[in-house]
Amino acid sequence: MKIKNFVLRVINGSKARIWIMTFGALLCLIVVGIFNTVLTTTSSDSYCMSCHVHPWAEQSWKLGPHHNNRTGVSVHCVECHLPPKGEGYLFAKAKHGAIDVYGYLFKDSTKINWESKKLLENAKGFTYEKSCIKCHSNLFPVTLSVNGSNAHLAYINATEDPKPNCINCHLNAGHFDKNAKHEHDTNFGVDAALSQEKFTSSTKVSKFVNFREKIPGSTVAFDMVAIPEGTFNMGSPADEPFRKPDEGPVHKVKVSKFWMGKIEVSWNEYLAFFQATASQGRTEGQIIVNKNVDAVTGPTPPWGAPDQGWGKGTRPAITMSWRAANTYCMWLSKVTGKKYRLPTEAEWEYACRGNTTTPYFFDGDPKKFTSKGIFKKIFGPDTTNINSRIIYMVNSSSKTQDPGSVKENPFGLKNMAGNIAEFCSDFYSPDAYKTATGLVVDPKGPETGTEHVIRGGSFKSDAKDVRSAARDFTKTQAWLVTDPQMPKSIWWYSDCIDNGFRVVCEADSIK
Amino acid sequence: MENDSKNINRRKFLGASVLAGIGVAGAGAVLSSCSKKVDNRTLGLPPILKGAPKGRKLRAGLVGVGNRGTGAAINFISAGPDLEIIALADVFQDKIDNCRKRFESFNLPIPAENCFVGFDAYKKLMAMPEIDVVICATPPHFRPEHFLEAVKNKKHCFLEKPVCVDPVGARLMIATAKKAEALGLCVITGTQRRHQEDYIETYKQIANGAIGKLTSAKAFWNQEHVWFRTREEGWNDMEYMIRNWNNFCWLCGDHILDTHVHNIDVINWFMGKHPEKAIGYGGRARRVTGDQYDFFSVDFDYGNGVSSHSMCRELDSCANGTGEMINGTEGYTNCINTIWNLDGSVKWKFEYPKDENGNTMNTIKISPYVQEHMHLVHAIRTGNYVNEAERTAISTLTAIMGRTAAYTGQMITWDAIMKSDMDLGPKKLEFGPVDMVFETPVPGTPPHV
Repeated sequence: MKIKNFVLRVINGSKARIWIMTFGALLCLIVVGIFNTVLTTTSSDSYCMSCHVHPWAEQSWKLGPHHNNRTGVSVHCVECHLPPKGEGYLFAKAKHGAIDVYGYLFKDSTKINWESKKLLENAKGFTYEKSCIKCHSNLFPVTLSVNGSNAHLAYINATEDPKPNCINCHLNAGHFDKNAKHEHDTNFGVDAALSQEKFTSSTKVSKFVNFREKIPGSTVAFDMVAIPEGTFNMGSPADEPFRKPDEGPVHKVKVSKFWMGKIEVSWNEYLAFFQATASQGRTEGQIIVNKNVDAVTGPTPPWGAPDQGWGKGTRPAITMSWRAANTYCMWLSKVTGKKYRLPTEAEWEYACRGNTTTPYFFDGDPKKFTSKGIFKKIFGPDTTNINSRIIYMVNSSSKTQDPGSVKENPFGLKNMAGNIAEFCSDFYSPDAYKTATGLVVDPKGPETGTEHVIRGGSFKSDAKDVRSAARDFTKTQAWLVTDPQMPKSIWWYSDCIDNGFRVVCEADSIK
Repeated sequence: MENDSKNINRRKFLGASVLAGIGVAGAGAVLSSCSKKVDNRTLGLPPILKGAPKGRKLRAGLVGVGNRGTGAAINFISAGPDLEIIALADVFQDKIDNCRKRFESFNLPIPAENCFVGFDAYKKLMAMPEIDVVICATPPHFRPEHFLEAVKNKKHCFLEKPVCVDPVGARLMIATAKKAEALGLCVITGTQRRHQEDYIETYKQIANGAIGKLTSAKAFWNQEHVWFRTREEGWNDMEYMIRNWNNFCWLCGDHILDTHVHNIDVINWFMGKHPEKAIGYGGRARRVTGDQYDFFSVDFDYGNGVSSHSMCRELDSCANGTGEMINGTEGYTNCINTIWNLDGSVKWKFEYPKDENGNTMNTIKISPYVQEHMHLVHAIRTGNYVNEAERTAISTLTAIMGRTAAYTGQMITWDAIMKSDMDLGPKKLEFGPVDMVFETPVPGTPPHV
């Protein structure tokens, strides 16, 4: 009764307002207090680690400079993986929290592709540049080196879109990666097979059949596949799933016979070139414009590890520029006495299709293979047929793979689709096919342009982008964003890790 | 009832005061958006001082003690109270001796143990803990390295212009400028026109729209031939080149940097930006030593159809003169003291002070060479931060872009020159023979940038 009276008095009494206000204020304090506690608790390292149970995250953070440094300052999970407070902190926390809770409840942590989270484009999704800048507000500490200063000047003056992000260069600052190097690799390509006997001449070819080419002056040999001449439908029909407008219209193309590398140019092959031609500086390299020079000058030492620490050998060589790939062909022609070059886009698609007219060179529906869409995320895509023939997003572990692991296409070529995207000799134009009338013979693409065609998709690609007709092109500026040199390298891309090439040899190389 | 009325009153009061607050803020906003005049501070203009303010004693060291260096040091001590030169550094003993004599004659002796000679003398001087300010006045080739060393040693700086001779040096200057800013070190750069009251007042008129939108400009530094040294017996290659530095591009940057950079800097200042590209030409007609040109004519393209014609020449008995001119949609100006309407009538003139006889002077009272040191000391002593290094590096790089356009005959873009790895001079700095070829550049032949 007493309580009831008290409550009534509180509600109806002359001091009612004061009581209610006091009560409200108290309630607010309690709610704010609880909210703050929840916020603090759920933002602690131990709370983060309780879900992110894969050991990589915690261990590599502890080994990295944001924990293991001479100042003893430890930077916590949320200080990088959430924006600063007041700059979208709560929203981002709710977003990432929801994703994490979903993953925790419905996904098997051992089956998540943690390696792929380390890739730059993925890391950008959960590493906040504003947070980098919040602590690293001084981009020009007095101890910064000349190269570092040049890189930071380029960063603050950048006008290209997308602008470079801190982690374009400092990707491994948060989580240690023993494969990441941040220096010129002057030992790159030093020959480990010195004891083996080197070839003194290239393979003599007298008939148009498959042959194994030997690179004179090296221990390296590689297989060339004879591709017969033929006519095929280039491009994809309008009803092909995931078709893009630049893949059409379908038109008839006749391709003369040629040889094509059975696999993408491997590190073994590319290093033979690097060792034979490597130059110290850019001015030397610029001499190569003249095709009739006596000697070919090749790449400068690369920055960091171009193979990304994945290994060399018969894995495809990557990160070289289109220009460097072209120079490789010139050099190979010179040392073998044959006519090597990059394939034209038509040759590439003809070789990839191997007389098939379907989206892939085997049976399968892009809609079933793709990983896009909410249902695929939950139940996983169909991988029948594609899994044994193409290295793509689903089976690549976010790396290039050795060509031994995939089946051949009908022409006997490996990795035409997937593994790495391949340079073609054509300039890219989205309208390249639109000018075709009647039967086109050995087209060479637009006469002018800025970027070149790349084909086949890569280990990063979704199944929809490794279709035989899918087209893409080089992005020179974006692929050199973090190159610290001024001017930037003409030999190596600093920001593209899934591009390489395959050679063709012209049929009239028979002697 | 009484309570209610009280409450209502309070509510009314609150409401009214909030409205009043919005009113004041709004009126402020309206006022500020109405007034077109922009003040000195927002225009980034330096204070005009009668002298540097009092404050703690500032001790300076002079690096590069030739004529301009000694002059700059005297300008520094003339800027205000408690300013001293206490150390000297140079590559030549005779230059040190001359400079010391000069200061002894003022009864301001510089102790012998504070005088350093050699290519590393600057390091020894800058390592002295008692030094607060470093005056860098060597040939410009050395400036970027010296500036970096000064900043590493936490010294405020006075840097003579130009501040570099090549793009590698320009980038080092810009990065070091940012390092100095991060440490709160003040930097003034010897672009004295920016400290001249007549230029400043004219600039304010232009910035407030006195000639409308800027449409074109010209900048010129055409003068008689300048000094050179013939080689004396006993001088090795390096000694000869440094004693004759004004005639070697790797040391001087050519006269488009050495002197004309002043005019180029004024155009960049008034335009509010650097040019996007340059096409130009030049040549060598009468020079007896070195590898530089006698004249340049460069079109600097500022974009949107706005160009500045830059001329500089060092030839006797020609139509000579120096200055700037900027045209706008509503008039034109000589940048220093006068604004004309499009019909040629004078729209505005800077009022120069009167001398003791009551006659109007034709210059300002305080030399701008001293005024800039007053500004430096003012900034250090009052905490009103100043750092001119980056903008002067940009003006110097503008001149380098023009020089490269003339030397090569090519169109040179800002992007290309900013990213260029052109790095002039020998790899190693030491006295003795120098293995360098000095060919006067011929346009149209490589190498380019």
